[in-house]
Amino acid sequence: MKENKLTKNILKTLSEYKINEKDILSVCPADLSFDGEYILGYVFLTDKYIGVCKSDIPTGYVHFFRGTKVHKKIEAEDLADYEVKLFDLQKLEHIHTERMIGAVLLTGEYDGSSVKIASLTNTYLEQINLFVRHTKNIKNGKPFDYEIVGKEAEEEDEESLYCPICGTMYPDPAKKVCPKCTNKRTIFARVLRYFFKYKFLIAILFLSYAMGAAISVAWPYLSGKVLFSYVLEKDNEFLARFGLSGKYLLALLVLALVMIGCRLIAELTNMVQMTLMAKVATSTVKDIKTDVFGAMSKLSLNFFTSKQTGGLMTRVLSDSNRVTEFFIDGIPSIFIQGMTIIVTFVVMYRLNWQMALIACILLPLLVFMTVKLRPGLWNLSGKRHRAEKAVSSKANDNLTGARVVKAFGQEDAETERFINPNNNLKEAEINIVKLRNRFTILYSLVQEVSSIWIWIIGVFFVLKTDKIDLGVLLTFVGYVAQLNGPMNFFSRVFRMWSESINAAQRLFEIIDSIPEITEKEDPVRLTKPRGEIELQNVTFGYTVSRNVLKNINLKVKEGEVLGIVGRSGAGKSTLVNLISRLYDVKEGTIKIDGIDVKDLSLADLRKNVAMVSQDTYIFMGSVAKNIAYGNENASGDEIIRAAKLAGAHDFISKMPDGYDTIIGASGKDLSGGERQRISIARAILANPKILILDEATASVDTETEKAIQNSLRMLVKGRTTLSIAHRLSTLRDADRLIVIDNGRIVEEGTHAELDRNEEGIFHKLNELQNKSLAESSF
Amino acid sequence: MADNNSINTFEKEAEEMTVMRVITSKDKFERTAGGFVNLTFEGVKYERVKIVRLFPFTDENKYISVRENTDKAREIGIIEDMDSFDDETREIISEQLRLNYFTPVIKKIMSIKDEYGYAYFHVMTDKGECNFAINMASNAVTKLSDSRLIIMDLDENRFEIRDVNALTQKERRKLDLFL
Repeated sequence: MKENKLTKNILKTLSEYKINEKDILSVCPADLSFDGEYILGYVFLTDKYIGVCKSDIPTGYVHFFRGTKVHKKIEAEDLADYEVKLFDLQKLEHIHTERMIGAVLLTGEYDGSSVKIASLTNTYLEQINLFVRHTKNIKNGKPFDYEIVGKEAEEEDEESLYCPICGTMYPDPAKKVCPKCTNKRTIFARVLRYFFKYKFLIAILFLSYAMGAAISVAWPYLSGKVLFSYVLEKDNEFLARFGLSGKYLLALLVLALVMIGCRLIAELTNMVQMTLMAKVATSTVKDIKTDVFGAMSKLSLNFFTSKQTGGLMTRVLSDSNRVTEFFIDGIPSIFIQGMTIIVTFVVMYRLNWQMALIACILLPLLVFMTVKLRPGLWNLSGKRHRAEKAVSSKANDNLTGARVVKAFGQEDAETERFINPNNNLKEAEINIVKLRNRFTILYSLVQEVSSIWIWIIGVFFVLKTDKIDLGVLLTFVGYVAQLNGPMNFFSRVFRMWSESINAAQRLFEIIDSIPEITEKEDPVRLTKPRGEIELQNVTFGYTVSRNVLKNINLKVKEGEVLGIVGRSGAGKSTLVNLISRLYDVKEGTIKIDGIDVKDLSLADLRKNVAMVSQDTYIFMGSVAKNIAYGNENASGDEIIRAAKLAGAHDFISKMPDGYDTIIGASGKDLSGGERQRISIARAILANPKILILDEATASVDTETEKAIQNSLRMLVKGRTTLSIAHRLSTLRDADRLIVIDNGRIVEEGTHAELDRNEEGIFHKLNELQNKSLAESSF
Repeated sequence: MADNNSINTFEKEAEEMTVMRVITSKDKFERTAGGFVNLTFEGVKYERVKIVRLFPFTDENKYISVRENTDKAREIGIIEDMDSFDDETREIISEQLRLNYFTPVIKKIMSIKDEYGYAYFHVMTDKGECNFAINMASNAVTKLSDSRLIIMDLDENRFEIRDVNALTQKERRKLDLFL
């Protein structure tokens, strides 16, 4: 479907309603009927109407969804006849979209009763949301707002959404990478760039490979032709060239020495190869891992919630190892082994072309079979990766949930559940080995058969004709045996290639992901922050269809303590996440000291906004390091002071290693309250201008809470503080409170003011908490 | 005692959250002109209710939650079994569910191509021939059981394969990557 234009046929029909093309302000496809069938359809907006056009799907129509559509000038829907229905904008109220499982519904109230206007697939979700915003604007008498544009409409011409090579739509309009045209060669070239850093080492590596190859080519010649045909046959003409004519024993000795020398050099190059390979491989793996990890940490929080950590770990850990195998072991070998094969054949051809021909008669078969078997390897590599991911996800899931597993006595059941993915991984590995074996068998078969072939025909030649002598025959057999190595290698190289490129592809996917939160070019620095926060018409939702915050307007003065109250799920945490820009607002602006947070440098923003949240995280390392997280240069004095203020000093000094106690994943376990206090200390040490306390004292006992409250009271001095709390008593000292319900600010005022409003949510909550406190004290 | 009243309403709300109500064939569903459904339950009329399957995959005709059309979408009651209703009512409810849970079922796989992080599907569904792409990095393919898959395209449009074993050997091999 055309994304934002009506077809000629519709326009013709519309002219009967006195609607011209220029009256149409916004268009969105509506490709579903109300009883759940695909249709051809559009909704459009004029300054008087919302119109809906519908037509049945022509037979044989093919649906194309995002990323698959090929750009075409004329499509079937251009020719179809549409039925048009108009809704008078005057009578239409509360127009909005509702997202369902597989469809989106555009609905509103028409003449006072609810009506379904149109329905569509998720494909056009973003577009219909824009359409609704336009409609609301027009209805409110505002002019058409050209500023409201979506990801796709931003592109001035539609063409730029399609790949110029194959004409297919980009799956991700922001990235403009056509997966179909990004072939494996580009990935290959990108990986290669990682190795360029080690040019010198790789050059030496190549040299040693070449040396090894030269020796292996010379070896059969020395041990065959030279030994038998020249030295043992006492060929004086040949020996004279080395000044050894007549000195047969000496010649034999020299030959033996040369041969020993060759072996020595071969072993030596082998050693050099191993050392260098280990060095280059590990260094590159390290580089790739660093890049992937770096790219991953820059990505927005969304990325981590939408992917399983198990899957991500597979990428960082095993994929980066797998990438290098082909490049380190494979590429130089392809070069060398390929050369060995060619040189061997050339030498064989020069020695006796008939026999050379016989030796390589099976090669075309080999090439044919290889081409046929290769795609299988690619798929198997992908499959193994998925199986691996499933296993590590399962293990990860289990380990993090170990407490629940044990509490419910599910150890055996979990082991049982682990068997399945584990089995799949085994199967996947076996399949790869099976296919690999097929390659190996094929290649060694060809080599063996050729070798026997040469023996039979060679002996025939030696006995029946005078064309060749025993020396030549032995040389030939030697050369065919020499092919064993390269053949073996080539049977492996395709698997290595598949695995390497497959893994590289997954890594580049991460490296290429664009973080949703990006710093503006040339951002505004916040050198002397005052800590003033202003939210204007802020609307935000984690998904396109559901807004968690709706049209929030809020101003927090410098140094003010603002309490935020509301039921769970009301949007309190979301509000503070937006202020520290963990997510970007959908509509409206957030300003700190009058500057839009999107224009601020991220480093300055994060430095000046510190958060103590309900999910505390303790990193591996010492207590002191954890408190000084994000503030490495803090002195011991500062750390202790921060810990004191957070009420953490006491329990820290009771620990055997004091501030040097190793905590976190592998170290000593802390209680929930202790963790909380460490994260408060962390925030105190950061000394931010804006402090966000998101249920900061939720998991400490009343006594500790009191202590922390006291220290917080000192802490908030000179800072702007936003404090979220369920326990309203925590917020007694706040200058002002806001109550959020269903994404909106519903009440605002001081503790006393809010409590006076007996119908208000705050009053109810307060009463309820006082009552339960009173009850529990009986 | 205004204070006590407000506490009581609050507690009532809390209590209501925990009550399970069952909608039976005695309660009346009716279509509205605008294409929605009204429900009269225990004498109270609820307009344009929302109908939600609680077990959309394992049992699509049992345990259906009917909810108010408000921001909070409070539950009015649960239909324990659709079969306990007459054909007319069943049809009224099913109409809403069909759009709600619109999911084409894949009948035939023409091709699946794995290209640089995306997989391109060309399939025949019960709703017609479809081409869609999925992101290989996200969890686009959900295995409901060993033989049942839900596939989500880049826009989270859903496609379903009810029974992998009903596909031909050749089609299964194309799908191999995801099994």
